[in-house]
Order: sequence, then structure tokens, then C-alpha cells
Amino acid sequence: MINWLDERLHVRELTASLFEHPVSKRSNVLDYLGFATFYVFCSQAVTGILLATVYRPTASGAYDSIKQLQGEPVGAFVRSLHSWGANFMVVLLVLHLLRVFYEGAYKKPRELTWLLGSVLLIATLGLAFTGYLLPWDQEGYWATTVGTAMPSHIPWIGDYLVRLLRDGTQVTGATLTRFYSVHMLILPALLLLAFLPHFFFVLRQGMASGDELAKAQKRGKCVDGDSLPFWPDVAVRMILFVLLIGAALWLLAALYPKSLGAPADPLNKSQYVPEPAWYFFGVYQLLKYFPGKLDVLAMVVLPFAGGILLFALPWLDRNPARSVRKRPLALSLAGVLVAGMVFLTYQGMNSVPKALASAGVVVHPGFKENVEPIFQSKCITCHGTSGGYGLDNYTAVMKKNVVPGNPDQSKLIRKLEGSDKPQMPIGQPPLTSDQIQTIRNWIKDGAKNN
Amino acid sequence: MEEIKRPAGVGKVFSRRRFLQVGVSGAGTVLGLSYIGLGLDFLQPPPLGAEPLQTVGKTADFPENMPKPVTYSGQGVKEGVYVVNLGQGNWLALDFHCTHLQCAVNWVAAVGKFMCPCHGGVYDIRGQVLSGPPPKALPRRVIKIIGDSVQVGGILA
Ligand code: FES
Repeated sequence: MINWLDERLHVRELTASLFEHPVSKRSNVLDYLGFATFYVFCSQAVTGILLATVYRPTASGAYDSIKQLQGEPVGAFVRSLHSWGANFMVVLLVLHLLRVFYEGAYKKPRELTWLLGSVLLIATLGLAFTGYLLPWDQEGYWATTVGTAMPSHIPWIGDYLVRLLRDGTQVTGATLTRFYSVHMLILPALLLLAFLPHFFFVLRQGMASGDELAKAQKRGKCVDGDSLPFWPDVAVRMILFVLLIGAALWLLAALYPKSLGAPADPLNKSQYVPEPAWYFFGVYQLLKYFPGKLDVLAMVVLPFAGGILLFALPWLDRNPARSVRKRPLALSLAGVLVAGMVFLTYQGMNSVPKALASAGVVVHPGFKENVEPIFQSKCITCHGTSGGYGLDNYTAVMKKNVVPGNPDQSKLIRKLEGSDKPQMPIGQPPLTSDQIQTIRNWIKDGAKNN
Repeated sequence: MEEIKRPAGVGKVFSRRRFLQVGVSGAGTVLGLSYIGLGLDFLQPPPLGAEPLQTVGKTADFPENMPKPVTYSGQGVKEGVYVVNLGQGNWLALDFHCTHLQCAVNWVAAVGKFMCPCHGGVYDIRGQVLSGPPPKALPRRVIKIIGDSVQVGGILA
């Protein structure tokens, strides 16, 4: 068979160039992250095609088609795989990027590989973003509404960009169809177009960790002692690593199946608080730090600078050294950047108001345990640190409006019950009687900081 | 002096070979650009305010200075709109998405303001920001009073 092919296509030459090179012993499992990302991409392609066979990309049909799919065990599992796969891909890609950065592998002669990798990162994030809307549930609908509104902070062209993304002024069925085609055709095509040369360059130039080896070989030195043959020694490690990633993916998809929330309600009768997908929490948080006119900084200057830094890194960082000790500046800057991003994402996730467990009436409530969570979830968006009466910490709560031991005299209670108009929280459904009773009990016990 | 014989074209400023090279890349560029242009044009969003007018009620349904939520049937979704009768024939239609992060704002009659439940944005009856994080006023929609019927259209800038 191989002989037959070789006669016609010279495949031996090709396979030799693919498989028959030595790999430095320094190379380790972190060098396989790119390959693992490629595996997850293939998994996404397969599960995505399967999902496309049943999905109906219209506002009236999308949710029902997914709901129906959720009813069958295999269908639900494939969807879960696809959803988990998206997270895996983003995470693996970022780890791959960090590894390449750490190794200095973006430097000459591999600038183009890095550039294409940046395109792959953007395309992957785009896939994650557009895929979020497709089930047409509350979560996806509102995450998309928030996400597509973010460009409106850009001066002059912002509003146009929003309309371009949404194919109109609002997130409608037209948006869904647009996202569907971008998710199914445009971005996968872009991904493949960037991936093929990216992969080809790696084959052509070998991994950066092998450069020393190649030099030594050129000098005519025997490198057998410092290296392993790619085929089959390293190949087997790679495939085992991918098997491990695959097992983790399947396990997580099975143990924590992706659920389907309530159908999208653009009128939001249930007062669902819109929140972006988790990889947007960083930007979302940034917007909070740069309120008002400064939002331009968060929405234009920083992302733009970030983009330039990403794409132009090989040309910005002129230091030819690859070893970690000779690049203190680049590595510490990157460290600060990564830490900042993790911090922002974490903060953003934390600041999303959590739904309260309905605890019923607590007879002897503690401030920390029972009372503060109610304030946190219902009141502090207005009564926060911005002046006026604050409910964001004990001292602020006690400044006025609370008469320890006497709930009926406390303005706080009267406001919550509505005997003192306007009833709080203003413009929202009142607290449940259980919650109010819990706060009453806490005041009756002396309103202590317990 | 003996003249050197060159193959035709060589040594001229713009050789035949060069001409053909430019021809090939030129034709490719033209083809490529036409598709890119076509695609960009095709993907243009509909112009602002172009959606058809829809009747959302009678003028008598909307007392003065009492914004009332109505719905507009967009493409496959219901869109929330506040119709505001400012008196003396002045009407406003406001989109109900808070300009901060897109929560639905509520008209709170007790204080005569639009309030956003998410991060405390406050707007006046015309949708102008009074306080809180929203960066700009609530978007306006087309509104027309025809006879006694109130009709709402698409979002303006
Ligand atoms: S969404 Fe309205 S204030 Fe944040």
C-alpha cells in the first residue's frame, strides 16, 4: 500500500519529514499543548456537525430543537461535549500561548507562526462568543445582548458596530441567523485557513526546543544521547497526553452535563440579570472601574493595545535571547498582565449578584450569615459605596435607619415593608416576607455585628 | 562594436514577462476585492428606524407623564418599548434596555423616574441619564400619532 502511494506521490519523503526527526530530551508535555488544542478542535468539529443535523437556526425553532435534543441521552451528551469542548479549547489555547511565550518560541524565525496563532486565538474566542447565543435561552440571549452592546462604548463607529453585529438594533432572530452562519462557516473557515500554515511552519521549522539539537547536528555532532526519535517515542507520548485530555473532556461532559435554561425572553419578565459569558468577565469588570467617559479607555484603548501587543509581539520584543534568565523584563511584564487578567475575571465573577437560597425565616439571624447576603443581593447596587445610605457593610448600615431592639421604629423596616413610601427596593419586587422577618428578628436581637 | 543579441524583451523596462505577472496578480486582486465588497455590502445592517410602524394602542391609553410599557414585534422577538405622553402632542418612545449593561429599566411612578435594577442607573421621563453608570440616554424609537392610534417604529440613533 505505502509502496503503491509512494510510486505515485512520493509519500515517503513526506512522512519522513513529518516523523523522522529527533526531539530534544528537554521537550516535555507542555510542548504537546498545541496538539491537544488541535484534538479538541477536531472534537468540536465532529460534535458541531452532529448538532447541526438537528438544530434549527430561527428564533422560533432554536430553543425547541435543543430542548428536544436534551430529551435524548446521546443528544444531550453530544451537546455537553461541545459545550465543555469550547471551554477546553479556550483554556488549552491560552496555556499553549503562555508556554510558547515562556520558551521565547515566537522569536526569529518563528514570527509568522505566532502571528497565525494570534489569529487562531481570536477566531476561537469568536466561536465561543457566537456559540453562546445559539440555544436561544435566557443565559445566551442576555450574554449576547451585553456582549454585542459593548462596542457601543467606542466613539463614532460604536453604534454602527453594534448594529452590524446584531444585524439590526436589537438581538433578534436576524442576529441568531447571523451568529449561526458566523459560527458554522466563517470562523471555522478562518480557523482552518490560519491553522494549516501554522501547522506547516511548525513542521518546517521544528519545535523551538529542538533548535540546539539541529545546530549540533549541523556541526556534525551525534545527538542521539540528548534526543529521542519523534517516531514512535515522542508520538506515543503525545497521543497519550491527548488521550488524557480526551478522557477528562468526556468525563466532565458526562458528570456535569450542560443544562438548558429557560427560553430567551427579550422582554425579561422574570427580571433575569444579564451577565456576559465567563471569558468576558474581565472586560465587564474593567467597565466598572472606568465608569462614565473613561469607558473609552476600557473599551478601545486597552483592547487595542492588547491586540497590538499580541499580534506584534515578535517585532516588539527585540531581545534575541530565549532563555528565561535573560528576559526578565518581558517575563515580568507578561506575569503582571496575566495576573491582572486573572484578577479581573475573578473579580467580575464574584461581583455578579448570586441568587439567594430561600432560607425561610431565621429566628436568631447573624448579620454576616443571614442579613448581609440579603443586602448584598438586593440593595447594594444602589445603596453601595456611592454615598447616601450605604448597606454594604455593618458600620454603614448602622449609621441611621436602624434602632437596635426595635424593628418597628427602624426606618429600614418601614421602607422595606412600604409603610414609608416609596417602598424599597425601588422599582423591583419587594423582599419576601421571610426575608423581612429575618431582618426584623436581627434588629430585635439588638442588631449586632455577629 | 558587436551588438549583443538578447532574447526579445529582456532588458526593457517593462518586459513581457513582467507584464504577464502584473496581469495575473491584478486579475486575482480584482476578483478577490469584488467578493469582499459584495460581502461587506450584503452584511450591512438595515438602516436606522426602517422597521415598519406598528400600532401599540390608542392615545387615550396613555395618560400624560405616565410612561407605559408596550411591545413591538421584531424579527421573532418581542421588543420592550416605553411610550411616553409628554402632553401637548409631544410623544416619545423609549427602548427599555439600560444603556449600561442592557438590563430592562422600570418606570417607578412613585418617584417619576426610570430605574435600572441592576446597578442603580436612573433616567428621567425623557430617558436622559440622571445618575448611575449608564453612559448615555435610553435609545429613542420612531413614534407617530395617526388619528387616535399610537404607532411605534424602529430605533433611531
Ligand atoms: S445595566 Fe442598568 S445600571 Fe447597569
